Amino acid sequence: MKRFYFEKEKLSSEEFYVPLHKRASLRDVVSIGFGLFVVTYLVIFFLISITNSFIKDPMKVDIQHMFMPPSIEHIFGTDFLGRDIFSRIVKGTEAFFLPGILSIAISTTFGLLFGVISGYYSKTISSIIFYFLNIIDSIPRFILILIVIVIFNPSIYLIMLFVGVTSIPKVSSYIKSKVDTLKKQRFIEACRALGLSERSIIFKHIIWISSRSVLIIRATLGMGEAILIETSLSYLGIGVQEPIPSWGNMVAMGKDFFFQGKIWLSTIPALFILITIMGLYLLGDGLNSIFNERVSR
Amino acid sequence: MLRILRLLVKEVFYTVLLILGVTALLSFLFRLMPGTISFEKNWLNEYLKLLQRLFTFNFGVSPVSGLNINQVVFPAFKNTFILTFGAILISVIISVPIGIFSAYRSFRGISWPLTMFSYIVSSIPVFFLGYLVIYLFTRYSNFIPIYSATLENKRQLLAYILPILVLGLGNDSVSEFVRIISDELSRVMSMDYVVASKARGESVIRSSIVEGILIPLVTIIFSRIPFLIGGAIIVEYVFNWPGMGRLAFQSTLNRDLPVLVVIAFLSVLFVRGGMIIKDIILGFIIPQEM
Repeated sequence: MKRFYFEKEKLSSEEFYVPLHKRASLRDVVSIGFGLFVVTYLVIFFLISITNSFIKDPMKVDIQHMFMPPSIEHIFGTDFLGRDIFSRIVKGTEAFFLPGILSIAISTTFGLLFGVISGYYSKTISSIIFYFLNIIDSIPRFILILIVIVIFNPSIYLIMLFVGVTSIPKVSSYIKSKVDTLKKQRFIEACRALGLSERSIIFKHIIWISSRSVLIIRATLGMGEAILIETSLSYLGIGVQEPIPSWGNMVAMGKDFFFQGKIWLSTIPALFILITIMGLYLLGDGLNSIFNERVSR
Repeated sequence: MLRILRLLVKEVFYTVLLILGVTALLSFLFRLMPGTISFEKNWLNEYLKLLQRLFTFNFGVSPVSGLNINQVVFPAFKNTFILTFGAILISVIISVPIGIFSAYRSFRGISWPLTMFSYIVSSIPVFFLGYLVIYLFTRYSNFIPIYSATLENKRQLLAYILPILVLGLGNDSVSEFVRIISDELSRVMSMDYVVASKARGESVIRSSIVEGILIPLVTIIFSRIPFLIGGAIIVEYVFNWPGMGRLAFQSTLNRDLPVLVVIAFLSVLFVRGGMIIKDIILGFIIPQEM
Protein backbone atom coordinates (compact mmCIF):
# COMPACT_ATOMS: atom_id res chain seq x y z
CA MET A 1 0.00 0.00 0.00
CA LYS A 2 2.67 2.44 0.99
CA ARG A 3 5.00 3.55 -1.74
CA PHE A 4 8.36 5.05 -1.08
CA TYR A 5 9.57 6.04 -4.49
CA PHE A 6 12.62 7.82 -3.28
CA GLU A 7 13.83 4.79 -1.33
CA LYS A 8 14.14 2.39 -4.20
CA GLU A 9 17.20 3.61 -6.02
CA LYS A 10 19.09 4.63 -2.95
CA LEU A 11 19.07 1.17 -1.46
CA SER A 12 19.89 -0.69 -4.65
CA SER A 13 23.42 0.72 -4.81
CA GLU A 14 24.45 -1.51 -1.95
CA GLU A 15 27.54 -2.88 -3.62
CA PHE A 16 29.23 0.50 -3.72
CA TYR A 17 31.75 0.36 -0.91
CA VAL A 18 33.79 3.37 0.10
CA PRO A 19 35.22 3.87 3.60
CA LEU A 20 33.01 6.00 5.84
CA HIS A 21 35.44 8.85 6.35
CA LYS A 22 35.90 9.32 2.62
CA ARG A 23 32.19 9.41 1.96
CA ALA A 24 31.50 12.46 4.12
CA SER A 25 31.34 15.87 2.54
CA LEU A 26 32.17 18.98 4.52
CA ARG A 27 28.48 19.58 4.96
CA ASP A 28 27.92 16.17 6.56
CA VAL A 29 30.91 16.65 8.85
CA VAL A 30 29.53 19.98 10.08
CA SER A 31 26.04 18.51 10.61
CA ILE A 32 27.31 15.47 12.48
CA GLY A 33 29.72 17.57 14.53
CA PHE A 34 26.93 19.91 15.60
CA GLY A 35 24.69 16.93 16.39
CA LEU A 36 27.37 15.28 18.51
CA PHE A 37 27.88 18.58 20.35
CA VAL A 38 24.16 18.60 21.20
CA VAL A 39 24.24 14.97 22.32
CA THR A 40 27.28 15.71 24.49
CA TYR A 41 25.72 18.60 26.33
CA LEU A 42 22.49 16.65 26.81
CA VAL A 43 24.41 13.81 28.46
CA ILE A 44 26.46 16.21 30.60
CA PHE A 45 23.35 18.10 31.71
CA PHE A 46 21.64 14.84 32.56
CA LEU A 47 24.62 13.58 34.59
CA ILE A 48 24.86 16.89 36.48
CA SER A 49 21.15 16.81 37.11
CA ILE A 50 20.96 13.30 38.57
CA THR A 51 24.01 13.83 40.78
CA ASN A 52 22.75 17.25 41.93
CA SER A 53 26.20 18.81 41.80
CA PHE A 54 27.70 22.02 40.36
CA ILE A 55 24.38 23.88 40.01
CA LYS A 56 22.22 26.06 42.20
CA ASP A 57 19.09 24.55 43.64
CA PRO A 58 16.54 24.70 40.78
CA MET A 59 13.59 24.73 43.18
CA LYS A 60 14.82 27.46 45.54
CA VAL A 61 12.45 30.43 45.58
CA ASP A 62 14.14 33.81 46.06
CA ILE A 63 11.57 36.61 46.02
CA GLN A 64 14.18 39.36 46.34
CA HIS A 65 15.83 38.42 43.06
CA MET A 66 12.86 38.02 40.75
CA PHE A 67 13.20 38.74 37.00
CA MET A 68 16.97 39.24 37.13
CA PRO A 69 18.29 39.65 33.59
CA PRO A 70 21.22 37.43 32.59
CA SER A 71 24.30 38.28 34.67
CA ILE A 72 27.46 36.60 35.92
CA GLU A 73 25.81 35.22 39.02
CA HIS A 74 22.79 33.89 37.13
CA ILE A 75 23.97 33.06 33.63
CA PHE A 76 20.48 33.03 32.12
CA GLY A 77 18.80 35.23 34.73
CA THR A 78 16.05 34.28 37.16
CA ASP A 79 12.36 33.62 36.62
CA PHE A 80 9.19 34.98 38.24
CA LEU A 81 9.94 33.26 41.56
CA GLY A 82 13.63 34.10 41.57
CA ARG A 83 14.69 30.60 40.59
CA ASP A 84 17.89 30.25 38.59
CA ILE A 85 16.98 29.56 34.96
CA PHE A 86 20.24 27.83 34.06
CA SER A 87 19.89 25.22 36.78
CA ARG A 88 16.25 24.71 35.82
CA ILE A 89 17.32 24.07 32.24
CA VAL A 90 19.90 21.55 33.43
CA LYS A 91 17.29 19.89 35.63
CA GLY A 92 14.78 19.99 32.78
CA THR A 93 16.74 17.38 30.81
CA GLU A 94 15.52 14.80 33.33
CA ALA A 95 11.99 15.28 32.04
CA PHE A 96 12.74 13.82 28.61
CA PHE A 97 16.06 11.98 28.78
CA LEU A 98 15.11 8.57 30.19
CA PRO A 99 11.52 8.67 28.82
CA GLY A 100 12.92 9.49 25.38
CA ILE A 101 15.34 6.57 25.58
CA LEU A 102 12.42 4.32 26.57
CA SER A 103 10.47 5.47 23.51
CA ILE A 104 13.47 4.89 21.23
CA ALA A 105 14.05 1.44 22.71
CA ILE A 106 10.46 0.41 22.09
CA SER A 107 10.22 1.82 18.57
CA THR A 108 13.53 0.36 17.38
CA THR A 109 13.09 -3.07 18.98
CA PHE A 110 9.58 -3.71 17.77
CA GLY A 111 10.14 -1.87 14.50
CA LEU A 112 13.10 -4.14 13.78
CA LEU A 113 11.14 -7.24 14.78
CA PHE A 114 8.10 -6.48 12.63
CA GLY A 115 10.19 -5.11 9.77
CA VAL A 116 12.40 -8.18 9.52
CA ILE A 117 9.51 -10.61 9.88
CA SER A 118 7.40 -8.87 7.24
CA GLY A 119 10.32 -8.35 4.88
CA TYR A 120 11.88 -11.79 5.13
CA TYR A 121 8.88 -14.09 5.33
CA SER A 122 5.86 -14.51 3.12
CA LYS A 123 3.64 -11.78 1.78
CA THR A 124 0.59 -12.88 3.79
CA ILE A 125 2.35 -12.38 7.11
CA SER A 126 3.66 -9.05 5.93
CA SER A 127 0.23 -7.77 4.92
CA ILE A 128 -1.29 -8.89 8.25
CA ILE A 129 1.46 -7.15 10.23
CA PHE A 130 1.19 -4.01 8.14
CA TYR A 131 -2.57 -3.93 8.61
CA PHE A 132 -2.05 -3.59 12.36
CA LEU A 133 0.77 -1.11 11.92
CA ASN A 134 -1.38 0.98 9.57
CA ILE A 135 -4.07 1.10 12.25
CA ILE A 136 -1.61 2.75 14.61
CA ASP A 137 -0.22 4.91 11.84
CA SER A 138 -3.51 6.37 10.70
CA ILE A 139 -4.53 7.83 14.07
CA PRO A 140 -2.69 11.14 14.44
CA ARG A 141 -0.14 10.59 17.18
CA PHE A 142 -1.03 13.64 19.22
CA ILE A 143 -4.72 12.71 19.36
CA LEU A 144 -3.88 9.15 20.43
CA ILE A 145 -1.72 10.59 23.20
CA LEU A 146 -4.57 12.86 24.33
CA ILE A 147 -6.87 9.81 24.49
CA VAL A 148 -4.26 7.93 26.52
CA ILE A 149 -3.98 10.89 28.88
CA VAL A 150 -7.73 10.95 29.41
CA ILE A 151 -7.92 7.22 30.05
CA PHE A 152 -4.87 6.51 32.20
CA ASN A 153 -3.91 9.93 33.61
CA PRO A 154 -0.35 8.76 33.05
CA SER A 155 3.16 9.79 33.98
CA ILE A 156 5.59 10.96 31.30
CA TYR A 157 7.02 7.42 31.04
CA LEU A 158 3.71 5.91 29.96
CA ILE A 159 3.18 8.74 27.48
CA MET A 160 6.62 8.07 26.00
CA LEU A 161 5.82 4.37 25.83
CA PHE A 162 2.90 5.26 23.57
CA VAL A 163 5.11 7.65 21.58
CA GLY A 164 7.42 4.68 21.03
CA VAL A 165 4.52 2.49 19.96
CA THR A 166 3.33 5.11 17.47
CA SER A 167 6.77 5.29 15.85
CA ILE A 168 6.93 1.52 15.26
CA PRO A 169 5.22 1.70 11.80
CA LYS A 170 7.75 4.15 10.42
CA VAL A 171 10.77 2.17 11.65
CA SER A 172 9.42 -1.12 10.41
CA SER A 173 8.53 0.22 6.97
CA TYR A 174 12.12 1.46 6.60
CA ILE A 175 13.50 -1.89 7.77
CA LYS A 176 11.10 -3.78 5.52
CA SER A 177 12.15 -1.91 2.40
CA LYS A 178 15.78 -2.51 3.36
CA VAL A 179 15.23 -6.24 3.89
CA ASP A 180 13.25 -6.47 0.64
CA THR A 181 16.21 -5.24 -1.37
CA LEU A 182 18.75 -7.22 0.67
CA LYS A 183 16.88 -10.48 0.18
CA LYS A 184 17.48 -10.40 -3.55
CA GLN A 185 21.20 -9.64 -3.26
CA ARG A 186 23.81 -12.18 -4.24
CA PHE A 187 25.66 -12.36 -0.94
CA ILE A 188 22.56 -13.59 0.87
CA GLU A 189 22.16 -16.22 -1.82
CA ALA A 190 25.82 -17.14 -1.34
CA CYS A 191 25.33 -17.42 2.41
CA ARG A 192 22.46 -19.79 1.83
CA ALA A 193 24.49 -21.82 -0.65
CA LEU A 194 27.31 -22.07 1.88
CA GLY A 195 24.85 -23.63 4.30
CA LEU A 196 24.50 -20.89 6.89
CA SER A 197 21.45 -21.24 9.07
CA GLU A 198 18.52 -18.88 8.53
CA ARG A 199 19.09 -17.52 12.02
CA SER A 200 22.64 -16.44 11.40
CA ILE A 201 21.73 -14.95 8.03
CA ILE A 202 19.00 -12.87 9.62
CA PHE A 203 20.87 -11.85 12.76
CA LYS A 204 24.32 -11.31 11.36
CA HIS A 205 23.98 -10.33 7.74
CA ILE A 206 20.60 -8.64 7.65
CA ILE A 207 20.22 -7.08 11.08
CA TRP A 208 23.73 -6.42 12.30
CA ILE A 209 25.65 -5.61 9.15
CA SER A 210 22.98 -3.99 7.04
CA SER A 211 20.26 -2.54 9.24
CA ARG A 212 22.16 -1.00 12.11
CA SER A 213 22.66 2.29 10.25
CA VAL A 214 18.91 2.61 9.71
CA LEU A 215 18.33 1.94 13.40
CA ILE A 216 20.87 4.55 14.53
CA ILE A 217 19.31 7.16 12.26
CA ARG A 218 15.79 6.34 13.40
CA ALA A 219 16.91 6.46 17.05
CA THR A 220 18.40 9.93 16.60
CA LEU A 221 15.32 11.29 14.88
CA GLY A 222 13.11 9.49 17.43
CA MET A 223 14.83 11.30 20.28
CA GLY A 224 14.13 14.62 18.56
CA GLU A 225 10.47 13.69 18.20
CA ALA A 226 10.28 12.58 21.84
CA ILE A 227 11.70 15.91 23.03
CA LEU A 228 9.27 17.78 20.79
CA ILE A 229 6.30 15.85 22.18
CA GLU A 230 7.40 16.14 25.82
CA THR A 231 7.93 19.90 25.55
CA SER A 232 4.64 20.38 23.69
CA LEU A 233 2.68 18.41 26.29
CA SER A 234 4.38 20.19 29.19
CA TYR A 235 3.66 23.47 27.46
CA LEU A 236 -0.02 22.58 27.25
CA GLY A 237 0.07 21.70 30.95
CA ILE A 238 -0.68 17.99 30.58
CA GLY A 239 2.87 16.65 30.67
CA VAL A 240 5.37 17.44 33.42
CA GLN A 241 3.73 19.68 36.01
CA GLU A 242 5.02 23.03 37.14
CA PRO A 243 7.28 22.86 40.22
CA ILE A 244 9.27 20.16 38.44
CA PRO A 245 11.13 21.92 35.64
CA SER A 246 10.75 20.95 32.02
CA TRP A 247 11.72 23.07 29.01
CA GLY A 248 8.12 23.08 27.84
CA ASN A 249 6.56 24.37 31.04
CA MET A 250 9.36 26.92 31.43
CA VAL A 251 8.32 28.41 28.08
CA ALA A 252 4.67 28.26 29.15
CA MET A 253 5.33 30.02 32.46
CA GLY A 254 7.60 32.61 30.90
CA LYS A 255 5.22 33.55 28.10
CA ASP A 256 3.00 35.54 30.50
CA PHE A 257 5.88 37.98 31.01
CA PHE A 258 6.77 38.12 27.32
CA PHE A 259 4.56 41.14 26.77
CA GLN A 260 6.20 43.00 29.65
CA GLY A 261 9.51 42.90 27.82
CA LYS A 262 11.02 40.21 30.05
CA ILE A 263 11.70 37.99 27.10
CA TRP A 264 14.53 35.83 28.47
CA LEU A 265 12.14 33.85 30.66
CA SER A 266 10.69 31.94 27.74
CA THR A 267 13.22 32.66 24.99
CA ILE A 268 16.10 30.79 26.64
CA PRO A 269 14.30 27.46 27.13
CA ALA A 270 12.80 27.84 23.64
CA LEU A 271 16.29 28.37 22.21
CA PHE A 272 17.46 25.24 24.00
CA ILE A 273 14.58 23.26 22.49
CA LEU A 274 15.39 24.72 19.06
CA ILE A 275 19.12 23.96 19.20
CA THR A 276 18.66 20.48 20.63
CA ILE A 277 16.05 19.37 18.13
CA MET A 278 17.95 20.94 15.25
CA GLY A 279 21.13 19.16 16.34
CA LEU A 280 19.40 15.81 16.50
CA TYR A 281 17.76 16.29 13.09
CA LEU A 282 21.08 17.36 11.56
CA LEU A 283 22.81 14.37 13.12
CA GLY A 284 20.18 12.03 11.71
CA ASP A 285 20.32 13.54 8.23
CA GLY A 286 24.12 13.66 8.20
CA LEU A 287 24.34 10.00 9.19
CA ASN A 288 21.69 9.23 6.60
CA SER A 289 23.69 10.78 3.79
CA ILE A 290 26.87 9.01 4.92
CA PHE A 291 25.36 5.57 5.32
CA ASN A 292 23.23 5.67 2.19
CA GLU A 293 26.23 5.05 -0.11
CA ARG A 294 25.15 7.49 -2.77
CA VAL A 295 27.23 7.35 -5.92
CA SER A 296 26.61 10.83 -7.23
CA ARG A 297 26.86 13.79 -4.97
CA MET B 1 -10.11 4.86 -16.31
CA LEU B 2 -11.04 1.33 -15.32
CA ARG B 3 -7.64 0.97 -13.73
CA ILE B 4 -8.16 4.06 -11.56
CA LEU B 5 -11.62 2.80 -10.59
CA ARG B 6 -10.20 -0.58 -9.56
CA LEU B 7 -7.53 1.18 -7.51
CA LEU B 8 -10.18 3.34 -5.89
CA VAL B 9 -12.33 0.35 -4.92
CA LYS B 10 -9.31 -1.43 -3.46
CA GLU B 11 -8.24 1.59 -1.45
CA VAL B 12 -11.72 2.29 -0.13
CA PHE B 13 -12.08 -1.34 0.93
CA TYR B 14 -8.76 -1.20 2.77
CA THR B 15 -9.72 2.08 4.39
CA VAL B 16 -12.99 0.63 5.69
CA LEU B 17 -11.03 -2.32 7.11
CA LEU B 18 -8.59 0.08 8.77
CA ILE B 19 -11.37 2.18 10.26
CA LEU B 20 -12.95 -0.96 11.71
CA GLY B 21 -9.59 -1.73 13.32
CA VAL B 22 -9.14 1.81 14.61
CA THR B 23 -12.60 1.92 16.16
CA ALA B 24 -12.05 -1.50 17.74
CA LEU B 25 -8.83 -0.19 19.29
CA LEU B 26 -10.57 2.95 20.54
CA SER B 27 -13.48 1.06 22.03
CA PHE B 28 -11.03 -1.35 23.67
CA LEU B 29 -9.21 1.62 25.22
CA PHE B 30 -12.59 3.02 26.22
CA ARG B 31 -13.25 -0.22 28.13
CA LEU B 32 -9.96 0.19 30.04
CA MET B 33 -10.86 3.59 31.44
CA PRO B 34 -11.53 3.35 35.15
CA GLY B 35 -14.87 4.68 36.25
CA THR B 36 -16.58 4.45 32.86
CA ILE B 37 -20.30 3.88 33.10
CA SER B 38 -20.80 1.03 30.70
CA PHE B 39 -24.34 0.06 29.86
CA GLU B 40 -23.35 -3.02 27.93
CA LYS B 41 -21.75 -5.96 29.64
CA ASN B 42 -20.69 -7.43 26.33
CA TRP B 43 -17.81 -5.66 24.57
CA LEU B 44 -19.05 -6.61 21.10
CA ASN B 45 -22.46 -5.01 21.64
CA GLU B 46 -20.84 -1.81 22.81
CA TYR B 47 -18.51 -1.84 19.82
CA LEU B 48 -21.38 -2.35 17.41
CA LYS B 49 -23.25 0.55 18.97
CA LEU B 50 -20.14 2.76 18.64
CA LEU B 51 -19.81 1.70 15.00
CA GLN B 52 -23.44 2.47 14.34
CA ARG B 53 -23.07 5.94 15.84
CA LEU B 54 -19.87 6.68 13.95
CA PHE B 55 -20.84 5.37 10.53
CA THR B 56 -24.21 7.12 10.46
CA PHE B 57 -22.44 10.36 11.45
CA ASN B 58 -24.91 10.69 14.27
CA PHE B 59 -22.58 11.05 17.21
CA GLY B 60 -25.15 11.67 19.92
CA VAL B 61 -24.83 13.78 23.04
CA SER B 62 -21.70 14.14 25.13
CA PRO B 63 -22.35 12.97 28.71
CA VAL B 64 -19.87 15.50 30.09
CA SER B 65 -20.82 18.77 28.43
CA GLY B 66 -24.39 17.84 27.48
CA LEU B 67 -23.93 19.26 24.00
CA ASN B 68 -24.80 17.59 20.75
CA ILE B 69 -21.45 16.38 19.42
CA ASN B 70 -22.44 16.89 15.77
CA GLN B 71 -23.00 20.60 16.30
CA VAL B 72 -19.64 20.99 18.04
CA VAL B 73 -17.41 18.84 15.88
CA PHE B 74 -18.31 19.69 12.28
CA PRO B 75 -17.64 23.48 12.40
CA ALA B 76 -14.41 22.72 14.23
CA PHE B 77 -13.45 20.18 11.57
CA LYS B 78 -14.04 22.77 8.85
CA ASN B 79 -11.76 25.28 10.58
CA THR B 80 -9.00 22.70 11.07
CA PHE B 81 -9.29 21.68 7.43
CA ILE B 82 -8.72 25.29 6.33
CA LEU B 83 -5.76 25.57 8.70
CA THR B 84 -4.02 22.37 7.61
CA PHE B 85 -4.65 22.96 3.92
CA GLY B 86 -3.18 26.45 4.11
CA ALA B 87 -0.25 25.21 6.16
CA ILE B 88 0.64 22.54 3.60
CA LEU B 89 0.47 25.17 0.89
CA ILE B 90 2.83 27.47 2.83
CA SER B 91 5.28 24.61 3.50
CA VAL B 92 5.33 23.66 -0.17
CA ILE B 93 5.79 27.27 -1.33
CA ILE B 94 8.75 27.67 1.01
CA SER B 95 10.42 24.32 0.54
CA VAL B 96 10.23 23.68 -3.22
CA PRO B 97 12.51 26.59 -4.26
CA ILE B 98 15.01 25.71 -1.51
CA GLY B 99 14.99 22.08 -2.63
CA ILE B 100 15.55 23.05 -6.28
CA PHE B 101 18.36 25.41 -5.28
CA SER B 102 20.18 22.80 -3.25
CA ALA B 103 19.87 20.19 -6.00
CA TYR B 104 21.86 22.31 -8.45
CA ARG B 105 25.54 21.88 -7.87
CA SER B 106 26.39 25.40 -9.03
CA PHE B 107 24.21 26.99 -6.35
CA ARG B 108 25.81 25.13 -3.46
CA GLY B 109 27.10 28.38 -1.95
CA ILE B 110 23.66 29.96 -1.73
CA SER B 111 21.83 26.77 -0.87
CA TRP B 112 23.74 26.10 2.36
CA PRO B 113 22.21 29.05 4.31
CA LEU B 114 18.82 28.31 2.77
CA THR B 115 18.97 24.68 3.92
CA MET B 116 20.04 25.79 7.38
CA PHE B 117 17.08 28.17 7.39
CA SER B 118 14.77 25.25 6.63
CA TYR B 119 16.25 23.28 9.54
CA ILE B 120 15.92 26.20 11.97
CA VAL B 121 12.36 26.88 10.90
CA SER B 122 11.28 23.30 11.30
CA SER B 123 12.87 22.74 14.69
CA ILE B 124 11.64 25.96 16.29
CA PRO B 125 8.96 24.98 18.82
CA VAL B 126 5.66 25.94 17.26
CA PHE B 127 4.19 27.30 20.50
CA PHE B 128 7.07 29.74 20.88
CA LEU B 129 6.88 30.79 17.24
CA GLY B 130 3.18 31.53 17.74
CA TYR B 131 3.79 33.78 20.71
CA LEU B 132 6.68 35.50 18.97
CA VAL B 133 4.46 36.27 15.98
CA ILE B 134 1.63 37.53 18.19
CA TYR B 135 4.08 39.70 20.13
CA LEU B 136 5.62 41.22 17.03
CA PHE B 137 2.33 41.83 15.25
CA THR B 138 0.52 43.35 18.20
CA ARG B 139 3.42 45.51 19.24
CA TYR B 140 4.63 46.90 15.97
CA SER B 141 1.55 46.91 13.77
CA ASN B 142 -2.17 46.58 14.10
CA PHE B 143 -2.82 45.74 10.49
CA ILE B 144 -3.52 42.05 10.97
CA PRO B 145 -6.16 41.09 13.55
CA ILE B 146 -4.89 38.35 15.84
CA TYR B 147 -8.12 36.52 16.29
CA SER B 148 -11.69 36.75 15.12
CA ALA B 149 -14.44 34.28 15.75
CA THR B 150 -16.83 35.76 13.23
CA LEU B 151 -16.38 36.97 9.71
CA GLU B 152 -18.35 40.21 9.64
CA ASN B 153 -16.26 42.08 7.12
CA LYS B 154 -13.54 41.28 4.65
CA ARG B 155 -10.74 42.45 6.89
CA GLN B 156 -11.42 39.66 9.37
CA LEU B 157 -10.27 37.21 6.71
CA LEU B 158 -6.76 38.50 7.44
CA ALA B 159 -6.98 36.76 10.81
CA TYR B 160 -6.51 33.49 8.94
CA ILE B 161 -3.03 34.51 7.81
CA LEU B 162 -1.04 34.26 11.03
CA PRO B 163 -2.13 30.80 12.26
CA ILE B 164 -1.70 29.34 8.77
CA LEU B 165 1.74 30.91 8.43
CA VAL B 166 2.85 29.70 11.86
CA LEU B 167 1.65 26.15 11.28
CA GLY B 168 3.14 26.08 7.80
CA LEU B 169 6.53 27.18 9.07
CA GLY B 170 6.54 25.55 12.44
CA ASN B 171 5.63 21.93 11.85
CA ASP B 172 8.73 20.00 10.90
CA SER B 173 7.72 19.31 7.30
CA VAL B 174 9.77 22.07 5.68
CA SER B 175 13.16 20.45 6.27
CA GLU B 176 11.82 17.05 5.26
CA PHE B 177 10.34 18.41 2.03
CA VAL B 178 13.61 20.17 1.25
CA ARG B 179 15.70 17.09 1.91
CA ILE B 180 13.53 14.79 -0.18
CA ILE B 181 13.18 17.19 -3.10
CA SER B 182 16.90 17.92 -3.22
CA ASP B 183 17.83 14.22 -2.95
CA GLU B 184 15.35 13.13 -5.60
CA LEU B 185 16.05 16.01 -7.94
CA SER B 186 19.81 15.52 -7.80
CA ARG B 187 19.30 11.80 -8.46
CA VAL B 188 16.96 12.39 -11.38
CA MET B 189 19.12 15.13 -12.86
CA SER B 190 22.00 12.72 -13.31
CA MET B 191 19.84 10.16 -15.10
CA ASP B 192 20.36 9.44 -18.79
CA TYR B 193 17.20 10.95 -20.21
CA VAL B 194 17.75 14.24 -18.40
CA VAL B 195 21.36 14.41 -19.52
CA ALA B 196 20.20 13.70 -23.07
CA SER B 197 17.63 16.46 -22.93
CA LYS B 198 20.29 18.78 -21.57
CA ALA B 199 22.45 17.90 -24.57
CA ARG B 200 19.54 18.78 -26.84
CA GLY B 201 19.51 22.20 -25.21
CA GLU B 202 16.27 21.80 -23.27
CA SER B 203 15.73 22.97 -19.73
CA VAL B 204 16.95 20.40 -17.21
CA ILE B 205 14.45 21.46 -14.60
CA ARG B 206 11.53 21.09 -16.99
CA SER B 207 12.46 17.59 -18.05
CA SER B 208 13.00 16.36 -14.52
CA ILE B 209 10.08 18.13 -12.89
CA VAL B 210 7.66 15.18 -12.88
CA GLU B 211 9.96 12.52 -11.52
CA GLY B 212 12.15 14.79 -9.45
CA ILE B 213 9.65 17.10 -7.77
CA LEU B 214 6.06 16.10 -8.37
CA ILE B 215 6.16 12.43 -7.39
CA PRO B 216 8.14 12.82 -4.14
CA LEU B 217 6.10 15.88 -3.19
CA VAL B 218 2.75 14.16 -3.72
CA THR B 219 3.99 11.10 -1.86
CA ILE B 220 5.28 13.03 1.13
CA ILE B 221 2.57 15.71 1.45
CA PHE B 222 -0.25 13.33 2.19
CA SER B 223 1.78 11.33 4.67
CA ARG B 224 2.39 14.53 6.66
CA ILE B 225 -1.31 15.07 7.46
CA PRO B 226 -1.22 13.26 10.85
CA PHE B 227 1.72 15.40 11.98
CA LEU B 228 -0.05 18.54 10.80
CA ILE B 229 -3.09 17.66 12.89
CA GLY B 230 -0.78 17.28 15.89
CA GLY B 231 0.77 20.67 15.21
CA ALA B 232 -2.69 22.15 14.69
CA ILE B 233 -3.60 21.27 18.30
CA ILE B 234 -0.88 23.58 19.61
CA VAL B 235 -1.38 26.34 17.05
CA GLU B 236 -5.12 26.37 17.73
CA TYR B 237 -4.42 26.59 21.46
CA VAL B 238 -2.02 29.50 21.00
CA PHE B 239 -4.22 31.45 18.57
CA ASN B 240 -7.53 30.45 20.16
CA TRP B 241 -8.61 29.09 16.79
CA PRO B 242 -12.00 27.38 17.05
CA GLY B 243 -10.83 24.13 15.48
CA MET B 244 -10.68 20.43 16.15
CA GLY B 245 -7.36 20.59 17.96
CA ARG B 246 -8.54 23.09 20.53
CA LEU B 247 -11.70 21.04 20.95
CA ALA B 248 -9.58 17.92 21.50
CA PHE B 249 -7.48 19.72 24.09
CA GLN B 250 -10.54 21.03 25.93
CA SER B 251 -12.10 17.56 25.90
CA THR B 252 -8.87 16.21 27.35
CA LEU B 253 -9.08 18.67 30.23
CA ASN B 254 -12.78 17.84 30.72
CA ARG B 255 -12.17 14.07 30.43
CA ASP B 256 -14.71 14.05 27.63
CA LEU B 257 -13.82 10.76 25.94
CA PRO B 258 -16.81 10.48 23.53
CA VAL B 259 -15.87 13.76 21.84
CA LEU B 260 -12.23 12.64 21.63
CA VAL B 261 -13.25 9.36 20.01
CA VAL B 262 -15.30 11.24 17.41
CA ILE B 263 -12.35 13.56 16.76
CA ALA B 264 -10.04 10.57 16.35
CA PHE B 265 -12.52 8.98 13.93
CA LEU B 266 -12.79 12.14 11.84
CA SER B 267 -9.04 12.61 11.74
CA VAL B 268 -8.55 9.00 10.64
CA LEU B 269 -11.03 9.67 7.85
CA PHE B 270 -9.05 12.79 6.97
CA VAL B 271 -5.74 10.90 6.95
CA ARG B 272 -7.01 7.93 4.94
CA GLY B 273 -8.87 10.23 2.56
CA GLY B 274 -5.56 11.94 1.90
CA MET B 275 -3.95 8.57 1.18
CA ILE B 276 -6.67 7.69 -1.34
CA ILE B 277 -6.29 11.05 -3.07
CA LYS B 278 -2.53 10.50 -3.15
CA ASP B 279 -2.88 7.13 -4.85
CA ILE B 280 -5.31 8.50 -7.42
CA ILE B 281 -2.99 11.42 -8.22
CA LEU B 282 -0.03 9.06 -8.55
CA GLY B 283 -2.19 6.83 -10.75
CA PHE B 284 -2.69 9.75 -13.12
CA ILE B 285 0.95 10.86 -13.09
CA ILE B 286 2.58 7.46 -13.49
CA PRO B 287 -0.01 5.04 -14.90
CA GLN B 288 2.58 2.35 -15.63
CA GLU B 289 3.56 1.96 -11.97
CA MET B 290 0.09 1.42 -10.55
